[in-house]
Amino acid sequence: MPVFELRSPLTAEERQYKRKLILRDVVALLSLFAITAALAVATYFLFNSFARRRQALAERWLERGESAMSNGHPEQAVDAFRSALEYDPGQRETEIKLAMALSAAGRTEEAVSYFNTLLESEPGNGLINLQLARLAAKQGSESRAVEYYQRALDGRWQGDGYERRRMVRLELTRYLINRKDYSKARTQLLVVAGNAPDDPKIKLEIAGLMEEAQDPASAFEIYQSIADRKPCPIEALEGAGRVAFALGRFQLARAYLERAANHPDFGSQAETVQSSNRKLLDATIHVLQLVPGTELPPKERAARVLHAAEVAKGRLAACSTNTPTTSPSLADLASRWQQIPAKSSPMVLARDPQMEQTIMNLVFDTEKQTAATCGPPSGEDALLLKIAQSPMGVEMQ
Amino acid sequence: MKVDSLVETGEQIEPIHNSELQKIAPTREERLFLVLSIFIGVLSGLLVVSFRVAIEWIRILTLGSAPHPGQYRLLLAPALAGLGVALLVRWLFPGAVGSGVNQTKAALYIYNGYISFRTVIGKFVTSAIAIGAGHSLGPEDPSLQIGAGVASMIARRLRLSRQSLRLFAPIGAAAGLAAAFNAPISAILFVIEEVIGRWSAAVLGSVVLSAISSVVVARWFWGSEPIFRIPQVTLRDPRELTAYAVLGVAGGLVALIFSKALGYLRPHLRSLARWTHFFQPGLAGLMVGAIGFFGFPQVMGPGYGVIDQAMHGQFAWKLLIALALLKLLATTLSFSSGTPGGMFAPTLFIGAMLGAAVGSFEKHYFPHLTGTVGAYALTGMGVLFAGFLRAPLTSVFMVLEVSGNYSIVLPVILANTIAYLLSRSLQPVPIFEIFTHQDGLDLPSMEEQREESVLHIEDALGPLNVPVVSGSEPIEAVSATMSFDEISAFLVQLWDGSWYTMTRDELSSATAMLTGNTPIERALKPDRTPLLFPDLPLDTTLRYFSRWPLLPVLNRANKNKLEGVITLEDVLRRYQNS
Repeated sequence: MPVFELRSPLTAEERQYKRKLILRDVVALLSLFAITAALAVATYFLFNSFARRRQALAERWLERGESAMSNGHPEQAVDAFRSALEYDPGQRETEIKLAMALSAAGRTEEAVSYFNTLLESEPGNGLINLQLARLAAKQGSESRAVEYYQRALDGRWQGDGYERRRMVRLELTRYLINRKDYSKARTQLLVVAGNAPDDPKIKLEIAGLMEEAQDPASAFEIYQSIADRKPCPIEALEGAGRVAFALGRFQLARAYLERAANHPDFGSQAETVQSSNRKLLDATIHVLQLVPGTELPPKERAARVLHAAEVAKGRLAACSTNTPTTSPSLADLASRWQQIPAKSSPMVLARDPQMEQTIMNLVFDTEKQTAATCGPPSGEDALLLKIAQSPMGVEMQ
Repeated sequence: MKVDSLVETGEQIEPIHNSELQKIAPTREERLFLVLSIFIGVLSGLLVVSFRVAIEWIRILTLGSAPHPGQYRLLLAPALAGLGVALLVRWLFPGAVGSGVNQTKAALYIYNGYISFRTVIGKFVTSAIAIGAGHSLGPEDPSLQIGAGVASMIARRLRLSRQSLRLFAPIGAAAGLAAAFNAPISAILFVIEEVIGRWSAAVLGSVVLSAISSVVVARWFWGSEPIFRIPQVTLRDPRELTAYAVLGVAGGLVALIFSKALGYLRPHLRSLARWTHFFQPGLAGLMVGAIGFFGFPQVMGPGYGVIDQAMHGQFAWKLLIALALLKLLATTLSFSSGTPGGMFAPTLFIGAMLGAAVGSFEKHYFPHLTGTVGAYALTGMGVLFAGFLRAPLTSVFMVLEVSGNYSIVLPVILANTIAYLLSRSLQPVPIFEIFTHQDGLDLPSMEEQREESVLHIEDALGPLNVPVVSGSEPIEAVSATMSFDEISAFLVQLWDGSWYTMTRDELSSATAMLTGNTPIERALKPDRTPLLFPDLPLDTTLRYFSRWPLLPVLNRANKNKLEGVITLEDVLRRYQNS
């Protein structure tokens, strides 16, 4: 083999050694491959058993966390949710639950920090913004709370977004009412009322908030619309009566309150609610007995005017006695009373409607002024003051 | 012996006849190198995955699935594991002690890349027990040593040359570290910065190949995320850089405290009576367990879950600072006691807590200015890496690699540079070098090696102070020129662009032997002076001075143009003055 010899300068011994070397390398590489394959299989089984164990632990701790939260143990829930996340990281639902547990456990700073981080990866999440709004409210930061509430309203919601946004808006309204920001609260209520479904329960809630936001007229409209239905919930009748009384529309108040008292559900209400409604009805009837309405016969009307004058004068006298220094406004009232004929009969007064009006105006002024000077009145003075505060309402019956 | 405790020397390496092999199979090692790099990567990846799973299993078995304060097992588990590990390390696996980085360097520089199979097994078992049972140490450095050990075993089995054996250790180290951290670029850079010390083209390709192979294996099991989830990372406002600068200063100071604590406690504990060494890991475990028992179980183990939680803003800044300081204490105790385990994870933990604390503080007080807490935590990890481990390049690339976001590069560079410079000025000796000295070894300082300036020919270059003649000039003309000069040699420029340094003796002999009108080039010997350029390393000239008394240095653009000349005296003078 001269050609081979030319190409390979190796000796026979070297060629044999080379063959052995190649064989040894091949065997070594094959055994290395076999070892690698065996190790890969072993690692695969080890890893899979470990992964299953982790998954099981994650589920177990998640359940424990939810159970702890529902049982009112947020601190335990925090630990449980953290463990669940350690075994199954990145689960958004669990992360939010953990943040809520932190908040519920009073660890506000940690909760805020965590929610902020969650928000960074999902800025439009309605639930996270709502939670941040609640935490900001808890921390007394009104502007941030309102900002987060607004972001929650604009954000994305899982499930029934429409329903959840209404709940957020109502929560924001309650927050504004608590902060005595009635104007903004009324704006939010207008939006809610405009979009609310035709559900008496929801409408009653809105009307209740309108009352709290010092918008009794809008509340009355809603109560009235529900009260006109058949069957109507007793809460609507009570609400309509209550708001009508506040507006000074005593006839309407009496009608609604009497309907409420005769409602089949009246007896099933709490004793305090029943008692409160009865008292309001009594007060309404009493007010109506005091009001010198134009529909009354002149004599009776004059008698009511004279009675109101007696009550007001008594209130002025008591207030002047209890005031250490003579108040100019009380002195002015006393001077005006002196200009009114001291002795007048209903017969005489019935012939002078101008005088009747003058006396009633003086009665109203007296009740208002004495309430301002000597504090809120009681008894018939309180009722007269109520009439004084809404004389037009009385006339509108 | 301290050296014996680092790397066992029981197994003998079969002598390899390099010259014989070179003749029989000249390309064998070259070809095997790349194939074996992949095998090393895959094997290291599988071992590291098993290692991490083992740690997790041990953790669940010893500390429970959700450790929380007040559990007595938090006290018992690390203490008993410490005792068990101490016995194993003293009696069965003496090579398993320590973190793994210095041991790999020792194997590379002292034992020709030799790491025994027993050391690999020992490192796996003892580190898994210690870390799993709650000692405040990490799995990366052991993984690095396990990878290096696998590489060493494979290279020995294939009877590769000593030179190859030495090169395989860093290849395996990179594979092990890459699989443990799930970040190949950082692992490669770390091995280059901390193990090899300088860029080496000979080994870089194999290092990359093995690191990527191991990461592919690790990702097949763990997924593409690093060991923790990376949050959104942004730089929102340039004013934020101030906060990152503060983080850099804080990181530099914490790195200093960490180094000082380890530098003080480790030799102090090692100097105690030998019998105490059996109890030190147990006692350290008890103290670490006490930290967990009394309220901070987060500091136990490597703490990746806690890093993940901190990155995702689950903690308030006060708690984050407490965790950083307690982790520093726990790690100092665990590591100084001689418990096997790494410093990598605790460093990342402390950095992440520190960064998240700065981020949370800023977010709390300047809510509209700051970016994400996760960005600060991530930068904090890099800061401690730069300040404590003194691997500035790795620290920057690590953050970029794990975040996959280059918008954070500016804050990372700023914070890391501050931390690195501060730590370096206050603590000139890097921590791995401190450990080396404590172990009685003298390994090369990677920091110095990285920054060592290489001298070039231009640094010793002298002016052209000898005559230059053309090769076509007649001998008598050259002799006439030379008779006026008191020089010993001159340069001859030849027609083909080559040069020759002719001595006066050669000229005299040529004058005697040849006629006067013979061109000088006919009198020259066949060799020519080497082609030297100003940018070449200065030491390349040394081999030529036995033949040439003077060397011409040429211009790279025009080889007919001389930049100057250089002599042996010039070179020696330059080295003596450097």
